[in-house]
Amino acid sequence: MNSVVSVTDFYFKYLRSDLVLKDINLEIEKGSFTVIIGPSGAGKTTLCKSITGIIPYYTGGDYAGDVKVLGETTKGKKVSDLAMKVGLMLEDYESQLVSLTAGEEVAFSLQNHGFPPEEAEERTRKALEDVGLPGRESYQLDELSGGQRQRLALASLLAVHPEVIVLDEPVSAMDPDGGESLYKLLGKIREEYGTTFIVVEHRVEFVLPFVTDLIAIKNGEVAAQGKCEDVVSCIYEDAELRPLLPDLWQIKCNMEEKTQQKFALWRSEDEAVKELKARGFGKGVRA
Amino acid sequence: MEEKIIAATAEEQQKPMPALTHVEANQEGYRWVAITAMLFAIGIILHTVSPNVGGVTPNWTIAMYAIVINLTRPPLTRAIGIGFIAGLTLVPSSKSAFPLGNIASELCGATTCCLLVKAFVACHMGNWRLVPFITGFAATFASGSVFTFILKLVLGLPLRVWIFAMLPVVAVVGVLNGLITFGLFKPVKKLFYAQEGGEDK
Repeated sequence: MNSVVSVTDFYFKYLRSDLVLKDINLEIEKGSFTVIIGPSGAGKTTLCKSITGIIPYYTGGDYAGDVKVLGETTKGKKVSDLAMKVGLMLEDYESQLVSLTAGEEVAFSLQNHGFPPEEAEERTRKALEDVGLPGRESYQLDELSGGQRQRLALASLLAVHPEVIVLDEPVSAMDPDGGESLYKLLGKIREEYGTTFIVVEHRVEFVLPFVTDLIAIKNGEVAAQGKCEDVVSCIYEDAELRPLLPDLWQIKCNMEEKTQQKFALWRSEDEAVKELKARGFGKGVRA
Repeated sequence: MEEKIIAATAEEQQKPMPALTHVEANQEGYRWVAITAMLFAIGIILHTVSPNVGGVTPNWTIAMYAIVINLTRPPLTRAIGIGFIAGLTLVPSSKSAFPLGNIASELCGATTCCLLVKAFVACHMGNWRLVPFITGFAATFASGSVFTFILKLVLGLPLRVWIFAMLPVVAVVGVLNGLITFGLFKPVKKLFYAQEGGEDK
């Protein structure tokens, strides 16, 4: 497997806490769209921060094991060194916005990395275009809506062309339409640039069309990981993790249990209806 | 980056666990600058606009650097630097007979605050909730005493005036500043350190 992130025997505890991550071993494949799920306090955010090098070197703490990003260990690396390879958008994305205008915001990280002004300008223009904010360079941040500011934070990540983008609950404060639209955008970016996405998400139904891999975390340990097709039933069997699966997949697993038949991994209700009809379910049921 | 190997505690083990490597947070080099600059800016604005009530005005600049010192627990040399900058910011707006006295007084105030914080930490009382009040009061009292003593020398006032007229006012301002430091310490700490610790897992 061509992995971009590799975590080996990783343990971590904050300065004044118990172990938050225990014996984490996982590989994230290049170009995949990996979703991390787990109950609150399971260690999802800590895992994201470990992948981006914030943990343990920025926050401090006690750790064991190794995290490798694009074949290089994060040990001793500054967050800014890793930022060219891995972009992170926090749940509180507003805290990542530091400039007055959209153009300055996107150019900020580029200038910090020493890009010449002409290239920074071109990358800024392209990044804003990619996230659906073309020509908004001169807009003040308070002229942008919440969703647009979130797209701007994403544009700031995209501008440096990281190979991996980590998003911590990116749609937690959005309405369903906004969430769907953001994930469509991420799907488009992944298709266009082959970027690897690692997303912490409670509402997996938003990412159904795009998710390729799942990682389930429970009490700081990896409970299941792998291709969705392989791990969904395993997650379903765990009573604590089951509610985290989207309804569609819970129905699928439930039907598999009851009928002893295997169904495809439905990505939409239409797909489910189509397959069920093809198999003769619902015959005699009037609409 | 300082690293040392520490042994894993037996209680945390559910299966054999490797020894954990301890890493110090590598962020204060930048963060203290941001915290200091922001609180100084707030202090200068409040210092400019706050009214004089009955001849007593809280010294917001001292309260702000007392919060900074309590929050970041800087080494003594850095605290001296903070005091020097605080003194410089007060010079232009000072209406006293000797504005440069602010530099000497704030150097003393910041040093006192820093030494007191270090003393509390050394006594394992660094997290005692009254530390911000005590250090805010002490910093203001030290700074005010030095400043008024310089004034006494410059204006040739009798020692009795300094002791019985000036120091009581300094003490009152000290109590006010202690209360401000105490009241603002927790919210500021929460604001600047919101993303840390084991809370947001």
